[in-house]
Amino acid sequence: MLTITDLHARIGDTEILKGLTLHVPAGEIHAIMGPNGAGKSTLSNVLGGKPGYEVTGGSVAFRGQDLLALAPHERAAAGLFLGFQYPVEIPGVSNVQFLREALNSQRRQRGEEPLSGGEFLKLAKDRAGLLQMDMDMLKRQVNVGFSGGEKKRAEMVQMGILDPSFALLDETDSGLDIDALRIVGAGINAIMRSPNKAVLLITHYQRLLDVVTPDKVSILADGRIVETGGPELALRLEAEGYDSVMA
Amino acid sequence: MIHNGKNSRSTIISKGISAGKSSNTYRGLVRVGPTASGVRNFTQCDSLLLGDQCGAHTVPYIEVKNPSAQIEHEATTSKISDEQLFYAMQRGLGEEEAVALIVNGFAKDVLKELPMEFAVEAQKLLAISLEGSVG
Repeated sequence: MLTITDLHARIGDTEILKGLTLHVPAGEIHAIMGPNGAGKSTLSNVLGGKPGYEVTGGSVAFRGQDLLALAPHERAAAGLFLGFQYPVEIPGVSNVQFLREALNSQRRQRGEEPLSGGEFLKLAKDRAGLLQMDMDMLKRQVNVGFSGGEKKRAEMVQMGILDPSFALLDETDSGLDIDALRIVGAGINAIMRSPNKAVLLITHYQRLLDVVTPDKVSILADGRIVETGGPELALRLEAEGYDSVMA
Repeated sequence: MIHNGKNSRSTIISKGISAGKSSNTYRGLVRVGPTASGVRNFTQCDSLLLGDQCGAHTVPYIEVKNPSAQIEHEATTSKISDEQLFYAMQRGLGEEEAVALIVNGFAKDVLKELPMEFAVEAQKLLAISLEGSVG
């Protein structure tokens, strides 16, 4: 599904990713953990195509396409979804309007028929229910006045509606209370746990992985994947810290 | 806005959008006559800048002849942030679609007051006149 080979990227003069290699096949939920400043968010931004990052080497193949050659909206249409660590506010635009336009833009790019208002609302209602979110919330402006937890849940509803084949979730668990964490975790399982889909889950904490059991866990440190293992690697990290596990 | 009646109230909402090398100026007079007591006015001027070579100016004029009037003026200037643009594009919108969506959101307080046909027309006009303005 996603193959990253020897990826180098920098912001300005600072090299952040220094030869990152990672393969995530379809059907896999892969957690990435790592100390602050290791390059986790840079990885997410580079894969999403955020301006300001320069890829200086390596390649990323996504479902047989050269991901880095695509514009951000083309990556989205190809099936890539980024769950933002800090979801952005768009004043004056309702979630319903935003998501309907986004979904239909993706469908047009893929040569599919756009959804009608009624069809879209039915889908939105279904997905909001999955995350135990009120439809009223979807009528509110995108992330405006949302609490930290609401923003993250709204991200998951967006993911449910856009139905990507690959989700890269950047610290989706940060800022969530225990109940919200369970809801979000269950949402990830319900939406993304499938033989045709895959997830890259960037997190600092085991507690999300208690709900969403990863197939693989990798440690990202100093711009590279330094170790990959099963779910037990995350438990070891939690118990012993990065220093002892990476030593 | 001229207030001659007692306890009369008004709201002015101005949304200015500047792109390229354009500059946008709001000038508005709020006048309260001597016999008009208890008048209230609220004026809000929001400017949105697209790019770094455009400007926005707000020049409110206030003439009050009756001391009981309450006149408020609020002005904001904002830009479409790179974060907003990337967020919208990551969800599947092309760059121009994303700009049009964000700009329409900005202008919503005004657009929603228009009759349906005009609002649709105004939205399309906005999208056309912004074509190629971001980069």
